[in-house]
Amino acid sequence: MRKIIINTVVVLFAVWFFQNGVKLPKESADEFQVNAFGHLPVKYQGRKKPIDTLARNFLTVLSNKQSVRVDGEKVSATKWLLDNIAGRPEAMDYQVFRIENMDVLSSLGLEERKRFRYSYREILPKIGALDAASRSAYAKSDKERDLYDKQVMKVANKFYLYQNFMSAFEDPSSMPQDQLLPTAQRYMQLEKYSIPLVIPPNAGSSKWRPLMSALLANHPAMQTMGHVGAPDPMAVNFGVMLAAYREGRVELFNDTLYEYGALVQAENPAVFEKLSFETFYNRFGAFMKSAQLYLLVFVISCFGWLARKRGPISAALALMICAFIPHTFAIIARCFLSGYPPVTNLYSSAIFIGWASVLAGIVLEAVYRKADGMGNLVGGIAGFVTLLIAHFLAGDGDTMEQMRAVLDTRFWLATHVITVTLGYMATFVAGTIGVFYIAAGLLTRRVDEATNANMVRMMYGTVCFALLLSFVGTVLGGLWADDSWGRFWGWDPKENGALLIVIWNAILLHARYGKMVGNRGFAVMAVAGNIVTAWSWFGVNQLSVGLHSYGFTQSATFWLLVFVITQLAVIFAGLLPSKVWKSGQEG
Amino acid sequence: MKKIVDIFLSLKLTVVLLALSMVLVFAGTLAQVDKGIWTVVDQYFRCIIAWIDLPVFFPRMWDIPNIRIPFPGGYLIGWLLVINLITVHWASFKVQVNGGRRIAGLLMLLLGVVVTLGVMFGWGAASVAATESDAFWRVFLRLGRGSLAAVVFYIACVLLYRKRAGMVLLHGGILFLMVGEFMTAMFAVEARMTIKEGETVNYIDHSQQLEIAFTEVSNPDHDTVTVLPQRSLKEGAVIASEQLPFDVKINRYYVNSNRPQPLDSVPDRARSLYPKYEGYGSRLYVAEQSEVSGATGAMNAPSVDVELFDRTSGASLGRYILSLWFYPNFVQRTWDMPTRIKLAGKEYEVYLRFRREYLTSPSGSPFSIKLLDFVHEKYEGTQMPKDFASQILLVNEGDDIDRELRIWMNNPLRYARRTFYQSGYLPDDSGTVLQVVRNDSWMIPYLACMIVFVGMTAQFLQSLRRYQRSDD
Repeated sequence: MRKIIINTVVVLFAVWFFQNGVKLPKESADEFQVNAFGHLPVKYQGRKKPIDTLARNFLTVLSNKQSVRVDGEKVSATKWLLDNIAGRPEAMDYQVFRIENMDVLSSLGLEERKRFRYSYREILPKIGALDAASRSAYAKSDKERDLYDKQVMKVANKFYLYQNFMSAFEDPSSMPQDQLLPTAQRYMQLEKYSIPLVIPPNAGSSKWRPLMSALLANHPAMQTMGHVGAPDPMAVNFGVMLAAYREGRVELFNDTLYEYGALVQAENPAVFEKLSFETFYNRFGAFMKSAQLYLLVFVISCFGWLARKRGPISAALALMICAFIPHTFAIIARCFLSGYPPVTNLYSSAIFIGWASVLAGIVLEAVYRKADGMGNLVGGIAGFVTLLIAHFLAGDGDTMEQMRAVLDTRFWLATHVITVTLGYMATFVAGTIGVFYIAAGLLTRRVDEATNANMVRMMYGTVCFALLLSFVGTVLGGLWADDSWGRFWGWDPKENGALLIVIWNAILLHARYGKMVGNRGFAVMAVAGNIVTAWSWFGVNQLSVGLHSYGFTQSATFWLLVFVITQLAVIFAGLLPSKVWKSGQEG
Repeated sequence: MKKIVDIFLSLKLTVVLLALSMVLVFAGTLAQVDKGIWTVVDQYFRCIIAWIDLPVFFPRMWDIPNIRIPFPGGYLIGWLLVINLITVHWASFKVQVNGGRRIAGLLMLLLGVVVTLGVMFGWGAASVAATESDAFWRVFLRLGRGSLAAVVFYIACVLLYRKRAGMVLLHGGILFLMVGEFMTAMFAVEARMTIKEGETVNYIDHSQQLEIAFTEVSNPDHDTVTVLPQRSLKEGAVIASEQLPFDVKINRYYVNSNRPQPLDSVPDRARSLYPKYEGYGSRLYVAEQSEVSGATGAMNAPSVDVELFDRTSGASLGRYILSLWFYPNFVQRTWDMPTRIKLAGKEYEVYLRFRREYLTSPSGSPFSIKLLDFVHEKYEGTQMPKDFASQILLVNEGDDIDRELRIWMNNPLRYARRTFYQSGYLPDDSGTVLQVVRNDSWMIPYLACMIVFVGMTAQFLQSLRRYQRSDD
C-alpha cells in the first residue's frame, strides 16, 4: 500500500515536471501572433523545419541558449528572430553574441561582462577590427593558428552568419533601379552560402527560395526585364507581413500571416507536415528535463544504497522509469522528424548512450534481484552525464542535420552505429559499476562479501555484453566500409578506436579466465575501460582524421583530459593496499 | 622446448599480446595526424617490427626528439596470437566424444567448410552484380549466408565439444577473421578509374604503384609504349631499356612534391638551388615536400628527377622533372601535361603515372566501361552532397556482355572479380572517379562476423544460465 502511494506521488511529480513549458505562451487576439509565425515552414541546411526550430538553433549558435533575457524577461527565440528579420529598432540591442575570450574582447575594445553576451549594436563599430583579425587568422594554416585566432574566427563566423541571415530576409521591393544590379549580384553570391529558404515551392518555382531573391524578382523593374517569372504572391505576402511587424501594425501582421498560411496550404500543403509536431518537440525539451530527474534518481539511490533502505531505491526506480519514457519518446520523435535512425552524429550518440545506460539500469534492477539499487545508480549518473554532454554538443546548430552522401545509408546507421554505440554504453556501464565498487569499498563499509560478489558479477556480465556488442558493431563498421569503398579494414582512426574497446574487453575477460586478476583488479580494469571508450568516442574526433570525424569541439579536448584524470585517480585509489579500504575490514 | 610450449599455452601471453596490440593501434592512430594512412599501415601494422615515432604521443607543439622505438609489429603480434590461440585450444579443448557422434561432428565440420568455401567463391552471386534495390537486402543476404555457415559449424562444435562449443567456435571465427585480414593485406589491390562523360575507358590506375611511361608517337599508325615499373625507380639507378634508344638515370625520387608553380614566382634562394631542367621543369617549380597527413585524406604526389644519357657516348641528353602532377587522372583531368622529348628522330610523350592495368575478365577477354551520365545531387540550399551516381555501359565483346548499369554511393558493381565503387567526381561534375578493388577474400569478414557472433552468444547465454541456476 505504502509503495503504491509513493509510486503515485512519483508519477504525479514527473508529470507535473514534464508539462512545464509545454504549453504555448499566452497570446490574445489583439497581439502579434508570434506562435503561429513560429509554425511556418523554412528550409535550412537541407532540412525543412518550423521557424521555431530555425530560431532556436540560430540563437543557440550565437549565444548557447534557446531564449534571450531582456531585463529579467524571457523572450522566445521566435520573437527574437522575428524582431531581427523584420528590422525592429530594438532588435540590435539584444545581447546574444557570446564572446568569452578575453583577448578577443580586449582587441574589440569590449568590456568583460557577466554572461559574456554582447549586442549587434555594440559590435558593429568594431567590425573593421574583427574583419582584419579574422582575415589574418584565415590566412594562416591550421597548424599556425593559436587560440586567439580560432576564437576570432569563431566570433567572426557568428557575426557573418548573423549578417547573412538578415540579408536573406531583406526586402528590396522599394530599391531604386540603379542599385538593382549590384544587389542581384550580391544575392547570387549569398545564395551560395547556407541561408534560410523561407518561400516553399509553389506554382512559380519548384524550389525553395530565400525571401530576398523572391522579392527581388518581384521588383517592378525586374519584372519589366522579363525572364524572372511572374510575381510570387507568397513572397509578397511574407514581405508585407514583416513590414507590418516592423511598423507595429498588429492587425495587418496577423491578417497577412493567416493569408500566407492559407496560400501555402492551398498550393503546397505537404510542407506543413510534421511542423507542429516539431514545435511541440522543441517546447517539450525532454532531454534536459530527463537529465535533471536522472540526477535526482542518482542522489536518492546513493542515499538508499548506502543506508540499505529499500524504500528510496524503489521510489528512485519509479522516477527513473518516469524520466525514461519521455527520453524514449524524444528519441523516437527525432527519428520521425529527421527520417534517420537514432544515431547520426555526436549529439545523438550521447543521447542514445544515455538512453541505453538507463535502460541497462532498469533491466539490471528488474532482472537481477540482488542489484540492490546499483542499476539506479548507474542509470541515474550515466543518464545525467550523457544528456549534459549532449546539451553542450548542441551548440553547433541543428542537431538533426542531413547526412553527407557517404554516411547516408540508413541500413548501416541502423545496424553498425547502433551496435557499436551500445558497445560503448555497456563498457561505460561496467566502468561505472567499477567506480562505485572502488569508491564505496574505499570510503565506506557498504561493500560486504555478498555485495562484493554481486557487483563483480554485474561487471562481468556487462563486460561480456560489451565485448559482444563492440565486436559485432566494429565488424559491421568494417563491412560498411567494404560495401562502400572496398576496404574492410583501413586502420582509420575511428575504426581503431572501436577496435581498442574490443581488445580491452577481451583482455578483461582473458585476465579473469586466466585468474590473473581478482575482484578488485577486475574493477580497476573496468574503470580503465572508461578511458578507452571515452577516447574512441571523443578523442578520435579530436584528431580530425578520416570520414568519421563528424564533431570537432575545442573544449572537448579539455573535458576529455579532465575525465581521463578523474578515472586515473579512481584507478589509483583502486590500487591502494586493501588495509586502507574500509570495506572488508573487521569491526 | 616444453618451456616454449608452456609460454604459448598460457593465457598470460594472450593478455600481454593483446595489450601490446593496443599500444600499437593507439600509436598507429596518433601517427595519422602527421602521416598518410598507407605509410602508417606499412610502418606500424603490416610489418614484423614496427618503428614507433616517439613524438606521436605528445602535442605537436612540444619539441620532442624524433626517436623511433622498435616495437612488435602487426604481423608479429598477429601470428603470435594465432599460435597462442591454436596451442591453447589444442591443449585444453580436446574432442570429448567418440563413435557415431564424433563422425557426425566431423562430417558437419566438413559440411561447414564446404558451405564456407561456397559462400566465399560466389555461390549464388551473379557474374555481373550491380544493385538495383537497397543495400539492405544485399547485406542481409550476405550475413544470412554467413549465418548458415556459422550454424553448421556450431552444430559441429556442439557434437564435438559439447559445452565448450561456443568457446571453440568464437575463437575459430577470430582466427578466420585474422587470416582473412592477412590475405587482404597480402593480395588485395586497390585502383582507380577516371572517366569523363561520354568517354570509354579500358584501364585502371593502381593508386599504390607508379611507373614512367614513354610513348613513342612518331609512327602515324600506332604508338609504342615503354614502361619503367616502380621497382626500378630507385635513386641513382640507371635503366637501360632495350625499347629505348637512351639510358634513363633516376637522380631523385620524391615521395611527395608541391603543386607546380611558375618558376619566377619562387623566392630567389629556392630558385638558385633548383636544378636546370628541360621541359616543364624549365618553367615550373616542382620540389620535394613533406608527406601529406592521413588527417586530410589527401594523396602524396611523387615526382622523379630523371636524366637521359646517350647510350654510346654517355653524354647527357637533358634532365627532366616528371611529376604525378602532370598526369591528368591525378589532377581530376584539370590538365594534361605530357613531357615531350624528341631524340634520335623519334618523338616521345612521357608521364610519371599510376601503374596502368588494362581490364580483362576471367575468361581473358578485354572489357571497357563507358560513362553515359554522372549525377551529383546536393541538399537544397547547401553545398552538401546528397548522392553521386554513375550511369555506365559495360562492354565485353568476348563474353558477349553489353549492359547499362548504375554505380552509386554504397552500391558498387561487382564484375570480373573486381568491385567498382563510386568514389569521386571531376570538376563541374563532368565525369566520375571509381574505386576499383580486387580482393578475393572479401567475403571472409561477413562469414567470420557471424561465426564469432553465434559462438559468443552461445557462450554468454550458457554462462548466464549457469549464473541464474546458481542464483536460485
